[in-house]
Amino acid sequence: MRTILSGRQSKEVPRTWWRPQISLHTSIVVILILALVPIYLMLVVSFKNPLQFMHERWVPSHPLRLGNYGAAWLVVSEYIINTVFVACAGLLGVLIQSLTCGHVFARMRFPFREPLFYAIIALLMVPWVLSFVPGYMLYHGLGLINTRWALIIPNLANGPVFGIFLMRAVIAGIPEELYEAARCDGAGVIREITWITLPLSLPGLATLAVVNFIGTWNWFLWPLVAVTDKAKQLITVGLYQLTSGGAHGTAVSMSVWGPLFAGYVIASVPLVILFVFLGRFYVEGLMETGLKV
Amino acid sequence: MSQNLAADETLDKPQGPLNSDVRAGKRAARTTWAEMRKAWQAYALLAPTFLMLIVFMYYPPILGLIRSFYEWAPGTDATYVGLSNFRAYFAYPETVREISNMGKLILFGLFSNMVVPFVMAEMIYSVRSMVAKGFYRLLIIIPMLTPGLVTILLWKHIYDPKFGPVHTLLSAVGLDALALNWLGEPSTALYAIMGVGFPWVSSIGTLIYLGGLAQISASIYDSCLLDGCTGLRRVLRIDLPLVLGQVRLLAILAVIHGLTAFNTILVLTDGGPGFVTTVPGLTMYKRAFLTQQFGYGSAIGLMLFVIAMVLTLTVNRSVRPFGEDEAGR
Repeated sequence: MRTILSGRQSKEVPRTWWRPQISLHTSIVVILILALVPIYLMLVVSFKNPLQFMHERWVPSHPLRLGNYGAAWLVVSEYIINTVFVACAGLLGVLIQSLTCGHVFARMRFPFREPLFYAIIALLMVPWVLSFVPGYMLYHGLGLINTRWALIIPNLANGPVFGIFLMRAVIAGIPEELYEAARCDGAGVIREITWITLPLSLPGLATLAVVNFIGTWNWFLWPLVAVTDKAKQLITVGLYQLTSGGAHGTAVSMSVWGPLFAGYVIASVPLVILFVFLGRFYVEGLMETGLKV
Repeated sequence: MSQNLAADETLDKPQGPLNSDVRAGKRAARTTWAEMRKAWQAYALLAPTFLMLIVFMYYPPILGLIRSFYEWAPGTDATYVGLSNFRAYFAYPETVREISNMGKLILFGLFSNMVVPFVMAEMIYSVRSMVAKGFYRLLIIIPMLTPGLVTILLWKHIYDPKFGPVHTLLSAVGLDALALNWLGEPSTALYAIMGVGFPWVSSIGTLIYLGGLAQISASIYDSCLLDGCTGLRRVLRIDLPLVLGQVRLLAILAVIHGLTAFNTILVLTDGGPGFVTTVPGLTMYKRAFLTQQFGYGSAIGLMLFVIAMVLTLTVNRSVRPFGEDEAGR
């Protein structure tokens, strides 16, 4: 992180260095403002009642209509709870599987280690379109369509693919001496994992947790087809159906823009909380991504 | 690896005058088996994961490969129909437009996901003040804090022909001719879809480039400064070649995204007006889940997979980061 922040520093700074810097700052700020326009609109409109929306649409208006949030919460709370449940249920399994398998591939020696590892990595190359339609038929055949399992199992099965790839690299970086010492103390594989690997690979696990949580929070097409029951639906599909009134409906009338946008804001809150606590690991992981490939 | 080495060593040892090769082979097999039994814990720990992977990760794609040649729907037996799913797809009049839409979206995706983030990363990287740099990097993350689908829905509102800010803004500055229903006009709908996310400074791409740029050593810049190589020339001659690994990664991601991601189109236009903005992925979805032609859908999925593989390999071959030249040949 230090190196990334420090960047390039030349020793001889020309006297007029600030002139290009000013135009640089201006362009960056303009681009960032443009990029943040949708979020600004989301926040501003979420506090408006229909009358305020008709008159001053794009600037904050004085009495903030907090009632929009209450109305939105009544509609989206169920979706939010479902999504948090699915994300957490999947996440725990993904973390455990990635940790143990990552440890096995990084630390243990056994025949067919490399072929087995590449068999997992090869799955990263298969785009989801290939298994989208047959996947539905598989879940249909198992009678899982329209159950919560249809949302939890894909997480449990798909998450470890990238997870093992990531955790193997993380665990391979732990010094071997620690394991030797543990083995001298008579530790078995399970103890090696819980005593040494787990505490020393927490940043990797945090990155993995964020990646998986964001994945679930952005999941759209599969829940759209796999779950039809509103009571089990995820937030993305819920908001989509609220906005378009079904797949072919027209956009909602303007009188509900306020509560709808409040719903969007509520849907973003869990991601904000996640980033406040674990975002650092995710960003660091991303910045290193290009280096490993 | 070490197991193989160990097996090789046993092979090299003198085994006696007769049938030494056969016996050595048997012994090697026995050694492997013994090693496998000794390492039973490793297999036991991998077993649950592999069980899940076999059922839910390996089986569906293989099933898809096979069922592309079948007529298939839930609740009925699949019947083998040979290539007729593929023939039907290419005989379908909208197919040419679908594929050309997909091509346009992939080309545009390369610009918006690969080129624009590079420019943004270069700009943030050139900022001298550390505080400002950290601040910009923080701001670039903010768009990631709304779920992707919410961003798409927000753009639907932004394009709204009655109340959307695009319409309001264009009318306000007197460009009423341009204040159209951007998503509803056949001539503009596809471009409106490309416009989603303007100015396209994707958080992920920018951060990946920033990570790559930060790895460039200061000594390279010092010698570069001595040679009078600055500004744009430095960006093109030094920075760009040194982040080619990142460029390649983002190119592959952009291509796969362009081939497979149809959720933006599904949400914004549903392929309309008419079939103007349809892409093969959307047709796959509709054929399978609206008209129950699962074999047909699988066939489109298979074609997209083949195209994705070909394009990925092409990008992999054509973009070679430094230091990979020797290894690649």
